[in-house]
Amino acid sequence: MDTKRMTRLALLTSVALIIFIIELHIPNLAPVPGIKLGLANIITVYAMYKYSFGDTALVVFTRILLGTIFSGNISAIFYSIGGSVLCMCGMFLLRRVTDEKYLWISSVIGAVLHNTGQIMVAVVMLKTTAVFSFFPFLLISGCIAGAFTGICAQILCSRINL
Amino acid sequence: MKKKNICIFVFILIFALGIICSLYLLNSEHGDTVNIIQNGEIIYTIDLSASEDRKIEVEYQGRKNIIQIYNHQICVSDADCPDQTCMKTGYLKSGTIPIVCLPNKLIISYTDDSEVK
Repeated sequence: MDTKRMTRLALLTSVALIIFIIELHIPNLAPVPGIKLGLANIITVYAMYKYSFGDTALVVFTRILLGTIFSGNISAIFYSIGGSVLCMCGMFLLRRVTDEKYLWISSVIGAVLHNTGQIMVAVVMLKTTAVFSFFPFLLISGCIAGAFTGICAQILCSRINL
Repeated sequence: MKKKNICIFVFILIFALGIICSLYLLNSEHGDTVNIIQNGEIIYTIDLSASEDRKIEVEYQGRKNIIQIYNHQICVSDADCPDQTCMKTGYLKSGTIPIVCLPNKLIISYTDDSEVK
């Protein structure tokens, strides 16, 4: 890994981390576990389209690990990782069929996949299928949050060329 | 142009699916029996229509949730977990949507079978 690439990835990670910490102070809109704006994923989506899969995974996992340490919510790390893995795999496949113009829709699908991953982790962790009843609410929130982060990332892609 | 239409169609499809399922779940029927489940095991089964107002303290790895039964309704009145989602959910209303505390692995939901008492 050369210095230039490492610096860029570190910069992306720190920006994502700052967004993540600021978002912690925004109160949750709905009393459903798992619903979140996920603004830090603007960086994830951006990295997905501008860098390789491995680089994106590095940025995301570093952000999750450091974010968990800073927020102090240790149990959230499993949900974050479960969601992120599914989301990144889905978006990696979508990136091959869509170009930057349709970035927002792959962000929406990524967000929904992220929520699916979270639910699956919750089923394993809580040993019950009762949490599946949150899935429709997560679909709605995933659509809105995904579209928002997707549009932000699209603007970012067209304006910044790191 | 065609691709754009597919994108919008997919978006609307997911969104509509979410809304329809949510409305269906919000209006579902339920009995009177409530299960309090922690870490996959049922620790309390309460018949809400017959129970008096009281508080139940549930502990998980040093963290506490206080479950309150008031006027034949159940809610989590106090929790020391970081996200406090279980408190914000309020009283248990829907038959399918449970009160969940993810950090403390606590679930409060109506039983599927209202005849079990």
